[in-house]
Amino acid sequence: MKITQLIVLLAGLLAFASSQAASPYAGQVKAGEVCAQCHGMKQPGVGSPFPPLAGRDANYLKTALKQYRDKTRVSELMNNIAGSLSDSDINDIVSYYSNVH
Amino acid sequence: MRTTIKRLNKSLLATSIAFLLASQTASAKSDDMNQVYQDNCASCHGADLGGYLAPALNSATLKGRSPTAMRTIVLAGSFDTLMPPFYGKLSDDDIRGVLKHLQNTPKQPNPAWTIDDTKKSIKVYVKDESTLPSKPTYSIDDMSNIIGVAARGKYGRGEGSKAVFINSKTHQKIGEVHTGTAAHIIEFNPANPRWAYVKTDTAEIFKVDLYSMQVVRSVKTGFNGPGIGISRDGKYIMAGSFVPHNATILNADTLEPLKTFELEGVDPDGKMVSSDSGMIVGTPYADIFAIALENAGQVWVVDLKEGFPVTKIEKVGRHLHDAFLTHGGKKLMIAAYDDNIVAAIDLEKREIIKKLDAGCVPHVGGGSAVVVDGRTLGFGTNFGDCDKTVVSVWDLDKMEVVKQIPVAGGTESPAAHANAPYVAVDIISKDRRARTVQLIDKKTLEVVKTLDVGGHAYFPEYSADGKFLYISAGYNGDEVVVYDSITLQKVASVPMESPAGIFSRGRVKYMTRGLSPDEIGQSK
Ligand code: HEC
Ligand code: HEC
Repeated sequence: MKITQLIVLLAGLLAFASSQAASPYAGQVKAGEVCAQCHGMKQPGVGSPFPPLAGRDANYLKTALKQYRDKTRVSELMNNIAGSLSDSDINDIVSYYSNVH
Repeated sequence: MRTTIKRLNKSLLATSIAFLLASQTASAKSDDMNQVYQDNCASCHGADLGGYLAPALNSATLKGRSPTAMRTIVLAGSFDTLMPPFYGKLSDDDIRGVLKHLQNTPKQPNPAWTIDDTKKSIKVYVKDESTLPSKPTYSIDDMSNIIGVAARGKYGRGEGSKAVFINSKTHQKIGEVHTGTAAHIIEFNPANPRWAYVKTDTAEIFKVDLYSMQVVRSVKTGFNGPGIGISRDGKYIMAGSFVPHNATILNADTLEPLKTFELEGVDPDGKMVSSDSGMIVGTPYADIFAIALENAGQVWVVDLKEGFPVTKIEKVGRHLHDAFLTHGGKKLMIAAYDDNIVAAIDLEKREIIKKLDAGCVPHVGGGSAVVVDGRTLGFGTNFGDCDKTVVSVWDLDKMEVVKQIPVAGGTESPAAHANAPYVAVDIISKDRRARTVQLIDKKTLEVVKTLDVGGHAYFPEYSADGKFLYISAGYNGDEVVVYDSITLQKVASVPMESPAGIFSRGRVKYMTRGLSPDEIGQSK
């Protein structure tokens, strides 16, 4: 409940910000469509081999995704997934995951 | 059976992953591979390779399929379906091996599971039930406020698979029991509020003490199949399977099997067939069970007396599935997938009353009935595999169609409540619409609102007092979302892995969701 309230609040605040700003709401949708399959919305499935993303440091996540995207960090799956993400996708998704507690 | 089968999502992502993953050779023994399959895949794809919640995987269905494309699906999962990613969970050799095994193995014959197997499967966790607490060990005003959620767990088995119980006044979790494989159905004992029964995808039944929130016994009645019902006196359970084709009456206390029924009969086209078990229901009106024989198109009424005699009602419809009760439990409305009808059955006279139009591939999902301006209206969802995506509304007194309300897509399960203004239906069409639930105004019979719940939103259910609407954000949503049933504002979220069916203990009072407790009085 807290998370969603936070997200609604953030989304509300961000409506006033520039269109460049990250949208945790858009990020939540994208995360649900793509990332949650492996990483979960809040945590990966019990016993599944994927690292958790929720509640992690935003800068760390952003850097990791950009590294996957330009293949300076190597992982078959993640290179491929991040390859199709734009900067604003990354910002959105990261602003969702880093705000989940 | 088609409940959760979704068409394959050919996402760009999956294809590009396939491209990256080069093939290697794998040679593993077929026996080992059968074990890998049984341990990881069978709960969804069926122990006999014939499909269950997921498509059949055998030499016939996988003929000519690209091993690489299939490997991608297994590695990465299929987005927005139950198919989980096995990357890192199974070795690449095992994944290749199991797929090769499946491509070379025909569907297995319906394996036997006898009454002795059932007897031997009984496990006792609490030997002396008199040691259990005499009242709930947590605070709750009324046991009817309990809502049980079948949390499937991402892999359909393991630590994430459990039945979670929530107090629907506070929206706090009050307990959970682990079920090993995905919990599927939760039934509550109508005579004694302390007992609940959880049936899993692999046909294990757990007898749960709701006062102390623990499993006291379990039994396995087959390999799969969701059918389970409980008699009005709380003394008997009847459980039915897809594999094998039988149903068993059990003592609800000890879970000892009392009688097994082989499900076979002449179908509406005159052919003798062996049949999956569809819905099974006990009714407040009499000491009977009604069971649907899916393929035989028959409904059997079993009297709970010496020898458990059966009355067979034939030619009910093609491919029967689920049903709901009305008129004090004397009438049964049962859906026939292939005839696009719901058949009304008189359980007293044991005959068909009428067949009513029910949209396209009707799946009533437990159904809903609600009294509006003196009329008892029944609501039926349907998968809408054709163009017609409607919710059917029937006048259950006159047994006629009142309206077919257009909705955004296929639907699986309706929820109504005497105190709530809306009937909720879950849209399951496989795209963004699957995130939504639509609300139909009881009076105007129009869709008035669409909720974006997130995840794959399904199985709406009202709390016993009708104040809250619970919805599973399943697959990747990983939460149950709670709405105020009047303002439709989100009021709470209860996290869990891949939640699916939601079952209010209030149902015991209402018989069918949406009716008032007085309805049951009619049976007396
Ligand atoms: C098919 C499964 C799968 C999907 C879908 C997926 N990931 Fe990953 N992800 C992985 C795996 C496997 C790893 C570990 C890779 C490694 O070893 O570097 C990973 C690692 C990561 C990491 C690094 C975590 C850390 O601890 O360093 C981030 C960040 C990440 N993923 C983000 C995402 C985002 C964002 C999405 C959705 C756009 C996504 N992933 C979708 C499988 C997946
Ligand atoms: C929790 C349930 C579940 C489990 C466990 C599961 N699957 Fe699936 N699987 C599904 C569903 C649902 C689909 C259909 C996906 C779709 O429509 O995109 C599917 C689809 C597939 C497909 C594609 C079938 C086709 O006809 O396109 C293959 C191949 C497959 N699964 C293999 C496996 C294997 C191998 C395992 C075990 C290692 C497994 N699955 C375990 C639910 C499951």
